[in-house]
Amino acid sequence: MTEHSRGARIATLVMGAVFLVALPFIVRDQYQLHLAQLIGVYWILIAGLNLVIGYSGQLSVGHVGLLAVGAYGFAIIAGKYDFPPLLALIACGALGGLCGFLLGLPSLRLPGFYFAMVTLAFAVIVTEQSVAQTDLTGGGVGLPVPGFAAPFDSPEGFYWLILAVAAAITWLTWNIARLMWGRALIGVRDSEVAARSVGISVYRVKLIVFVFSGVTAGIAGGLFASLQSYITPDTFIFELGLFFFTCIIIGGRGSIFGPFVGTVILTAIPEVVAPLAKLGNFFYGFLLLVVVLLTPEGFGRLFQQALARFNPKVAESTVVAPDPALLRKALQRAED
Amino acid sequence: MLQAESVSKRFGGLTALSSVSLELRPGEVHGLIGPNGSGKTTLLNMMSGYYPVDEGTIRLDTHVLNREGVAERAQRGIARTFQKPRLLGPLSVLDNAMLGGWRDVKSGFISTALSLPRALRDERGLRDRAAEMLHGVGMAHALDRPASLLEHAEQRFLEIARGLVSRPRFLLLDEPAGGLTPTEIDHLATVIGVLRESGIGVLLVEHHTDFVFRISDRVTALDLGRLVRHGTPDEVRNDAEVIRVYLGA
Repeated sequence: MTEHSRGARIATLVMGAVFLVALPFIVRDQYQLHLAQLIGVYWILIAGLNLVIGYSGQLSVGHVGLLAVGAYGFAIIAGKYDFPPLLALIACGALGGLCGFLLGLPSLRLPGFYFAMVTLAFAVIVTEQSVAQTDLTGGGVGLPVPGFAAPFDSPEGFYWLILAVAAAITWLTWNIARLMWGRALIGVRDSEVAARSVGISVYRVKLIVFVFSGVTAGIAGGLFASLQSYITPDTFIFELGLFFFTCIIIGGRGSIFGPFVGTVILTAIPEVVAPLAKLGNFFYGFLLLVVVLLTPEGFGRLFQQALARFNPKVAESTVVAPDPALLRKALQRAED
Repeated sequence: MLQAESVSKRFGGLTALSSVSLELRPGEVHGLIGPNGSGKTTLLNMMSGYYPVDEGTIRLDTHVLNREGVAERAQRGIARTFQKPRLLGPLSVLDNAMLGGWRDVKSGFISTALSLPRALRDERGLRDRAAEMLHGVGMAHALDRPASLLEHAEQRFLEIARGLVSRPRFLLLDEPAGGLTPTEIDHLATVIGVLRESGIGVLLVEHHTDFVFRISDRVTALDLGRLVRHGTPDEVRNDAEVIRVYLGA
């Protein structure tokens, strides 16, 4: 990366951060702030799920089940048992991670399609159980969910809490994506054969990332429940799981920024443009169809291609010319 | 030493290999030749762990590898390339080569997520090593290019570089000269020569017999899953049965 583009990137990042922090003073009404909170909560889940779907290529459609586990966990721990909400939120992360582990343990050895089916079944089971376990979850009636203590009890404070958690999790996933683990995940996604040949334990890597996505889904669930202030089994319909999946596919695999934009657009547009809200799932389905048919790599990729057009490449050499002396030295140094 | 001792492999009713032995020593180039379907790639796949062994033993020094998977054998220093290069298309040449260094990555998921100094040190070390290796095999012109845009020869040399970044003791090459021009085959010979000098044992599964006889220290010839002849290039080249089943008069 050149100095110039690095500087531009940092400047963009700083401006974006200032905008996000100042958002409560920019929005016109409480409803818009609520929307920003919802986007943040969804993103916490999707950021983790992105490592599973976008990087390691495991098509989970059942993360809404993990979201529900976190949400009910929070309602019960912080509501029924009166634990401090922040502690309860951490417990929700642990609970989500545990469920991710138990779900991933048998299913991640299965080929893609069957794995997707297992995650779907998991989401259905969680919803059924949340209706059936009346003592724990309130059944069809649902549960009230407490808010957070000061300074997070105001809409603005709660927004900043969500923003802080979302920023931290984005940072963690960014580190994974840019360092050796990111290459390993893409290896698992694009060529398991190649991944194994360099010593990657494919199943183990998939499982670790899946557990991480469970943790972020659990945390998102806790915040989601508190944001809704009342949860019922109807809150966690399967379409929500499909929605998370769609955000990542539309945003583009192997990118963090793409799925983020996907999350913002897909959450906000139906709310802001009223006629689209009526279309509901039709709108998501249509958008998915358009993206998959026109730009299978997602619109994150379109953005990159547009950038590349501004920096046209000169004709490049394709001649391989080994340098024995350098190779000898490189092999020598690798052994040291 | 990496050894296959009287190994056999059946696919259903078909015997792909029957009681074949081969030993690959450090610092030697060992050619493995034979007609299509003679079992060359099957043997390579058994040595690298892609196929389980029906009978016989795969051994690294004194350690029996039969029950170990591909990833475990790679962790022990057995690297390989593929007939059809297996690269990660969206990643750059440098990233692809770095992936080879996975067995030296000390940082786990959590220390990577937190970008602890250990993770950054792994990253820097492997980036430098991969860049040096790519300069060595002649891929310096394309470090930042996505692997999906590479020419055929570039893909082959990148795969070799990825194998070398893992600091292998043994490198198993599956038809590395396939699709290369004569000049590129000479470059390949140069690279393999350096590997031999550096003490890496190279198994060369190949159809270009001239190339194999030119650069190998020893050669094993297979036919229909049987061992036909094993010896120096001259011994194998002049063997009556090898000529009959493979080389032709």
